[in-house]
Amino acid sequence: MAKEKLLEVKDLKTYFFTEDGVVKAVDGVDFEVYKGETLGLVGESGCGKSVTAFSIMRLLDYPGKTVGGKVIFKGEDLLKKSEEEMRKIRGKEIAMIFQEPMTALNPVFTIGYQISEALKIHLHMNDKEAMEKSVELLKKVGIPIPEQRVHEYPHQLSGGMRQRAMIAMAMSCNPTLLIADEPTTALDVTIQAQILELMKSLLQEFNASLIMITHDLGVIAEIADRVAVMYAGKVVEYTDIRTIFHNPLHPYTFGLLTSIPRLDVELRRLNAIPGFVPDPLHFPKGCKFNPRCRFATDRCREEEPPLVKVEEGHLVRCWHVDRVKEEVKKGLLVGV
Amino acid sequence: MVAYIIRRLLLLPVILFGVTFLIYCMFSLLSPEERLATYVNNPNILKSTQASQRLIKKFHLDDPFPLGYIRWADKIIRFNLGWSKAANQPVWDAICQRFPATLELVMYSIIPVILVGIWLGVISAVHHNDIVDQSIRVIAIVGWSLPTFIFGLFVLFVFYGILGWLPPGRLSTWAQDIVYTGTKFHNYTHLVTIDALLNGNIPIFLDALRHLVAPIITLSYISWAFLLRITRSSMLDTLRKDYIRTARSKGVDEHTVVHKHAEKNALIPVVTIAGMMIVGMLGGVVITETVFTYPGVGFWAATAAQQLDYGSVLGFALLFASIMVIGNLIVDVSYALIDPRVRLE
Repeated sequence: MAKEKLLEVKDLKTYFFTEDGVVKAVDGVDFEVYKGETLGLVGESGCGKSVTAFSIMRLLDYPGKTVGGKVIFKGEDLLKKSEEEMRKIRGKEIAMIFQEPMTALNPVFTIGYQISEALKIHLHMNDKEAMEKSVELLKKVGIPIPEQRVHEYPHQLSGGMRQRAMIAMAMSCNPTLLIADEPTTALDVTIQAQILELMKSLLQEFNASLIMITHDLGVIAEIADRVAVMYAGKVVEYTDIRTIFHNPLHPYTFGLLTSIPRLDVELRRLNAIPGFVPDPLHFPKGCKFNPRCRFATDRCREEEPPLVKVEEGHLVRCWHVDRVKEEVKKGLLVGV
Repeated sequence: MVAYIIRRLLLLPVILFGVTFLIYCMFSLLSPEERLATYVNNPNILKSTQASQRLIKKFHLDDPFPLGYIRWADKIIRFNLGWSKAANQPVWDAICQRFPATLELVMYSIIPVILVGIWLGVISAVHHNDIVDQSIRVIAIVGWSLPTFIFGLFVLFVFYGILGWLPPGRLSTWAQDIVYTGTKFHNYTHLVTIDALLNGNIPIFLDALRHLVAPIITLSYISWAFLLRITRSSMLDTLRKDYIRTARSKGVDEHTVVHKHAEKNALIPVVTIAGMMIVGMLGGVVITETVFTYPGVGFWAATAAQQLDYGSVLGFALLFASIMVIGNLIVDVSYALIDPRVRLE
């Protein structure tokens, strides 16, 4: 089944030039997003997920800078576009949803104003049309009494309602690609599920693609079609949703999965990955995961493995895929 | 909102009671003889114990503290603030006569404070850490670290002493004749620049303005330099906020991001501080007016202080305290008007 490629990120490198040295937050990331599908971008905090998203949108804050690679969207490299051209893409072609709906909404403007802003810029609506459309959008994302809500300020809405408003804002100009940066992290579990359901139904309705950035594999299981697992600025495993849960081949993915509580397996205790995410100023030599990896050998400490195709549609960055595969087969994945 | 304002206004007498009480405490530190000195021009009376004791009794200058306060407060309520030796007229009349000049000076000083302070503050933040930012910050540091009287003397020396452009005082002699003693000139507001315009007398207007420029520069420098700092840091803080990124992610252009999304948030604390600073400037006029011999309440208060004319000094303190209290109320109310999150309860 040949699907249309919407976005292709190739060897993306974004570095932060700080006083203490160069932080390689994103260091050679590759992935594709096809039309209408959802790609999950998974990893611990500080692995470069959000920086990847901001690099695509070209919204990096000083001292961050994209120093290499390509971001091909609808056949054109976004990194080569002027700021003016980029503005026409932001909000219209690619929209973003942020983690914390309280801080991501401007406290001194009404919800209606903030939604209508993009409509006025990209669809050249006047104030009245934009306001009417905003009410319609709020209704669509399930906000009760939208006619009243448009005139309210963010602090007058609950967390879940704010995130719905944020989604309405992002979907306002029918973007073809939506980037959601931990959209459910700040919400209660019950609200999380509602928001995910809402996003799924809207994506279907608008036939939009989604990059879902999260550290929560539960969210990934719920919404993603394919997954890219990131570690220390690089993609370490890249495959479809079934494979990632049933046949993970990178020790890091493996570790992430065994650290989730499961109902169907009796565990004495959760399997935490030992150690911490390495300091981006002092990455270890060789494979960046080696100090935390129980499969690590001398080779891992010397040489960084490339991202290689181990089977159709399954890429892994590891020297010991075979050993991991064996353990997974033995069923060690589920227990300690 | 209306209920809040009414409640704050009801609180006003309580605050003024506190203020007058404190002022009277200072007052009571003086001995009855020292108080008497204000009323007496003939030094021989002060030398004679008998005569001075008689006068002390007559004017109740040796009352015990509570009784003295009640008598004094009773007079204050009826705007009888005592006699100003420095002005040789009642304190209340002295204030009424001089306050318009001070008001005029402060009113014009607000313009550079708000415009330059906020404008340069925003520019400084947008150009964070580059040469523009650095130069603006140097100007600001000089502004709020230089004592007003030194800066004032410097301005006077350069623009009057060397260049002869900006003379001290409020009006030239020829203009004084027209404004104060002339029959054709009507003093509608007692603000000379405005009255001159209302009378259609442009030369007077220009003359008044020429006298105002130097005091305005002196009085406003420290204030706008301070406001610039506040604006800059508030703006820098705001520009790092998530909602600024949200605005950019919607395709909003940089000008709108800075001047609408960021400024509307960043200026909330700035407005509060600007309001208080303007109120505070009414007190800061003492030095400026003295340097430029500008005939406002500050100049009068400084002269009075030199002559140990406590009646005038207390009158000035009371005036300044009342302005502070009312000014703060206005600032609080305006705060609620610009920040939707603030509900005055």
